[in-house]
Amino acid sequence: MNFNLDHFKESLIYGLIYLPNTLRLVFIPLVIGLSLGTLIALVRVYKVPVIGSLLALFVTVYQGVPIVVALMIYNLIFMLKFNDLAAFLHLKSEVSDVNNIWVGIFALSLTSVCSISEAIRGALLSIDKGQNEAGDSVGLTKVQTIVRIIIPQMIPVAIPMLINNVVGLIKASSVVMAIGIVEIVAGATIPSSRTYAFFEGYAAAAMIYWAFTAVVEGLAQKLKKYTGKFRRNLYD
Amino acid sequence: MGKLFAWDRFYENIPKILPYLSVTFSIVVYATVFGVLLGMVIVLVQIKKIPGLSQLVKVYVSFMRGTPMLVQLMLVYYGIPALLDPVLGTKINREWGAVNFAYVTFILNQGAFLSAIFYSAITSIPYGQTEAGLSAGLTEFQTFYRIVLPQMVKTALPPFGSDLVGLFQNSSLVFLIGVTDIMGRAKTIGTATKHVLEAYVLVVIIYIVISLSVRLVFFRLNNKMNYGKEEIG
Amino acid sequence: MIEVKNIKKEFGKHLVLKDVSVKVEDGQVVVILGPSGSGKTTLLRCINFLENADSGRLTIGDTEVDLKRAGKKEILNIRRKTAFVFQNYNLFANKTAIENVMEGLVTARRVPKAKAREQAEEALNWVGLSDRYDYYPAQLSGGQQQRVGIARAFVLDPEVILFDEPTSALDPELVGETLDIIKRVAEKGITMIVVTHEMSFAQDVADKVIFMDGGVVVEEGTPEAIFSNPREERTRQFLSRIISLDPNYSI
Repeated sequence: MNFNLDHFKESLIYGLIYLPNTLRLVFIPLVIGLSLGTLIALVRVYKVPVIGSLLALFVTVYQGVPIVVALMIYNLIFMLKFNDLAAFLHLKSEVSDVNNIWVGIFALSLTSVCSISEAIRGALLSIDKGQNEAGDSVGLTKVQTIVRIIIPQMIPVAIPMLINNVVGLIKASSVVMAIGIVEIVAGATIPSSRTYAFFEGYAAAAMIYWAFTAVVEGLAQKLKKYTGKFRRNLYD
Repeated sequence: MGKLFAWDRFYENIPKILPYLSVTFSIVVYATVFGVLLGMVIVLVQIKKIPGLSQLVKVYVSFMRGTPMLVQLMLVYYGIPALLDPVLGTKINREWGAVNFAYVTFILNQGAFLSAIFYSAITSIPYGQTEAGLSAGLTEFQTFYRIVLPQMVKTALPPFGSDLVGLFQNSSLVFLIGVTDIMGRAKTIGTATKHVLEAYVLVVIIYIVISLSVRLVFFRLNNKMNYGKEEIG
Repeated sequence: MIEVKNIKKEFGKHLVLKDVSVKVEDGQVVVILGPSGSGKTTLLRCINFLENADSGRLTIGDTEVDLKRAGKKEILNIRRKTAFVFQNYNLFANKTAIENVMEGLVTARRVPKAKAREQAEEALNWVGLSDRYDYYPAQLSGGQQQRVGIARAFVLDPEVILFDEPTSALDPELVGETLDIIKRVAEKGITMIVVTHEMSFAQDVADKVIFMDGGVVVEEGTPEAIFSNPREERTRQFLSRIISLDPNYSI
């Protein structure tokens, strides 16, 4: 069996050095996904005319596109058209000056907006219609009911799905190595191109991801207990 | 450089790319068929709580769910030759085509994901159903096969459908280890002609069509298996 | 005074309310009886705009609105003059008993928090839940939840409280205590419209009984008139069926 522990350790260190890039690739799309995703879910659940159906169509179709293919397309367009755009906007920057990590963040954001909107829509649909009626009956406005009653109840229902989305996002962020962005995977395999210890390099990357997702799932358990306090039942 | 996107190049690409759909489908079929079998074995180990083995599969499933598909693909691609060749004296490194590594990875990955779906489906059926079956004089196997399994299939169907959609999409990663699937073919067209956007767009359309069809099929199946319950939503 | 005029409501092809008009004087308790599917719940829900009627007019005090064409502001205005007690309670699941009662006061009526809390405590004490302020709905029994529901409606000091079968989701042993609370609300002189199947409650508390069937008002009058001397055959049939089922009821 060929497994060199020293190469593995070196790769582990290199992978961790580039962990901040993965964090950016996860955190920014997550924030965008949560805000736009919630908005899309609300628009769809409360059946806003035209926009609701258009967004439903977009989400359904876009969810059929593999992230790596979308990424390659965005990167291609970025490479070919950035200089034109910069010239058009009278910016003094060229494609070579701009870090294409933003292409990765853009692609991951779109994916996360779609999947998070689906998770939140499911959670919203699970809330009893009577809660809206109760809000109406005591004289709350639609917005007050959504903000004060519906969203707080939606959060604990959505959390398990959202955690899946975060874990999915962490894992999906690895595909950006296909357009040459250095994050955990590409970082961990930097030493491998010198030592040819690719197996050790990828094993190191796997360990980092495994630990990362485990931490997220652990935090999620705590969060669920905190936000779901009103769901606790005496008779449980 | 010319135009970024030209329809005639797009049409020319259709006959060049479509044949490679067979590679995508073969990966999905292998991964599903053997993944289901592997998944069932894993569930059996978990339910029967076989000592040692059940802890092992727990770690295995956790690893498969907690690491990126891309990394798993690379681990298999570099790991199988590195681990097996020196021990068994084989020459996997030179003799295996890239697609074989893809098969292995996707089977291992699907086995883990499907086991989780099956496991939660089985445990979602109340034990009262089993008791009712046994008390009606059915054997344990009859109870499982005639009562529990049909209800379990109904529960497992929607997540199985989403998993299948995800599997098709994930299969697009195999071009990164040099397998020529539709995406791999699109890249080679790009290298040869310097025009790749049309090819990529075609690939996107193919994936969208596949994803919508799979979702439609599972939506229909799900409606067929309602057992008298109203659809919600 | 509350008046509903010529209300119509269709669900698909099914005409649920065919030109119904109802008038309730201030301080009156009106009980609406009728078989299921008679449109009585729909009538109540239309008054609170939980359903949109296809036509009709509604007057509450000095406010008159068109039930079909009312704008957002008008709807909110009507809802702030009315309160609703639901069959399945519909307490806000993410709020404690006291927060449920305070919500309408603080958010809809802009009552300062401290004052709202005071009023909410008083309301909860009044329905006998002084020891349950900080319980979430999931921690309360059905009867307790419905009492919070009544307090939540009552605390708003509305011009009318609409009760939609307030006891039909409760276990039989909890029906009595809940009806007692509703009776006490009635004794305070609050205008109420109550949809219920509880005949003895109707007889004891109602100033007026309305019998609905098939989307129309078949007959209305004092409880004595309706129960001991119904004019319409449909009313007679309904009453005889209900009374034979209800052991508590005796004339």
